[in-house]
Amino acid sequence: MMRTARLSALLLALALLAGCAPGSREDTVHFTAMDTVIQLSVYGCDHGEETLSEARQLIQELDGLLSTTDEDSQIHALNQGETVALAQPVQALLERALALCADTGGAFDITIYPVVRAWGFTTDSHQVPTQEELSALLARVDYRQVEPQGGTLTLPQGVELDLGGVAKGYASQQVAQLLREEGVDCALIDLGGSIQAIGSSPDGDPWSVGIRDPRSDSPEDYAAVVRVTDQAVVTSGMYERYFEQDGVRYGHIIDPDTGYPVDNGLASVTVVSPDATLADALSTALFVMGRDGAAQYWRGREDFEFVLMGEDGSIAISEGLEGSFSLAGEQGSVSLEVIRR
Amino acid sequence: MRSTKFWILLIAAALVVCLAAAAAVMLGNTGSCVARVYQNGQLLRAVDLSQVEEGYTFTVSGPAGENLVQVEPGRIRVAAADCPDQVCVHQGWISTGIAPIVCLPNQLVIQIQSDSHNQQVDGVTG
Repeated sequence: MMRTARLSALLLALALLAGCAPGSREDTVHFTAMDTVIQLSVYGCDHGEETLSEARQLIQELDGLLSTTDEDSQIHALNQGETVALAQPVQALLERALALCADTGGAFDITIYPVVRAWGFTTDSHQVPTQEELSALLARVDYRQVEPQGGTLTLPQGVELDLGGVAKGYASQQVAQLLREEGVDCALIDLGGSIQAIGSSPDGDPWSVGIRDPRSDSPEDYAAVVRVTDQAVVTSGMYERYFEQDGVRYGHIIDPDTGYPVDNGLASVTVVSPDATLADALSTALFVMGRDGAAQYWRGREDFEFVLMGEDGSIAISEGLEGSFSLAGEQGSVSLEVIRR
Repeated sequence: MRSTKFWILLIAAALVVCLAAAAAVMLGNTGSCVARVYQNGQLLRAVDLSQVEEGYTFTVSGPAGENLVQVEPGRIRVAAADCPDQVCVHQGWISTGIAPIVCLPNQLVIQIQSDSHNQQVDGVTG
């Protein structure tokens, strides 16, 4: 009898500790911002609706500051050659982004925008630029030309910024911080496929995040699943934006060295890290580096893991994911390689 | 020793219980599966895809023109759209809650919420 009572007390304590009990309240909001669809879900929060509306406002504010196309944004003003007193989030993100550009040796470069535009990826009127045009534009591409001076910034003639490669990661990080401050310990932030998990899923297990199958047209099809707790999962995929001309496929991820779309056999790169801004930047940078470059870069760091999906259907993961990664399809038909330190 | 009749009845009873349990599980899996159509965060329409018997279409108007939404038993898609990029049309049919259909120019989102618990992931990155 005593034993049963003790056992029940223990179980009750465990249930309370779990925080997000199954069947507990769920609040979800979806809306469009940052050129994508956003879905925010919080679990077991008695003021979930208000918290989500604050989060939505935060994302819209960041979008308003960071958008390259919104004529009222700080980035747009900078790209017009204006001197701008940077708003705090813009300054913080810009500093972080510049550090990431340097750290990746320029594989991630926030000044690639004029080249991306020349290919038509910003306007959907795609074209292959001439070599002369690319050479002229590449002369303006170098993140080291961006030098904020005590909170203000003026870009040199011809240099243009695009923080789109880190903006979603940064926004999800800011939302995660807001939610945690509001006492939320169970939430999933999905900014158009850039996912940030808070805590573990409502049933107490890690969150299961599918990684889209690059060979399928449907975003519902995933080739693998990675299980995460308190981590961001961000993917760059060639399938997001590309065009074909004369039988050649041109993707939207541009190598800052050549000005040409990356063509190294990779179809998508997924980065898993507690730091969503890092994951966002690295999903692009590792794509540019290619399989071997990505593996080498990863060996020098401890703060992320990755999944590489090849155009041929092959998959490579870094060894830190070994226990939390599984293939979604028939195991036999895919070659899975584990990259070790 | 009990009679043979007793054992036959017992086995028959066990069989009935098993079948009932199997039926319950299977019926449970075909539970409701509701597609919600949102524009700029506002719910325009909710369609229970498990109750659809005959296909139909409806249109949604937005800043970039119209989206023609097609509904069939168990699935939904944007069949045609005026938007320039046609991303929503290319997305094709959806039948699970994994990824919503999105038309950014028209601020349209079609999201399926299913209570059949056959959804294996919480989100998809890509």
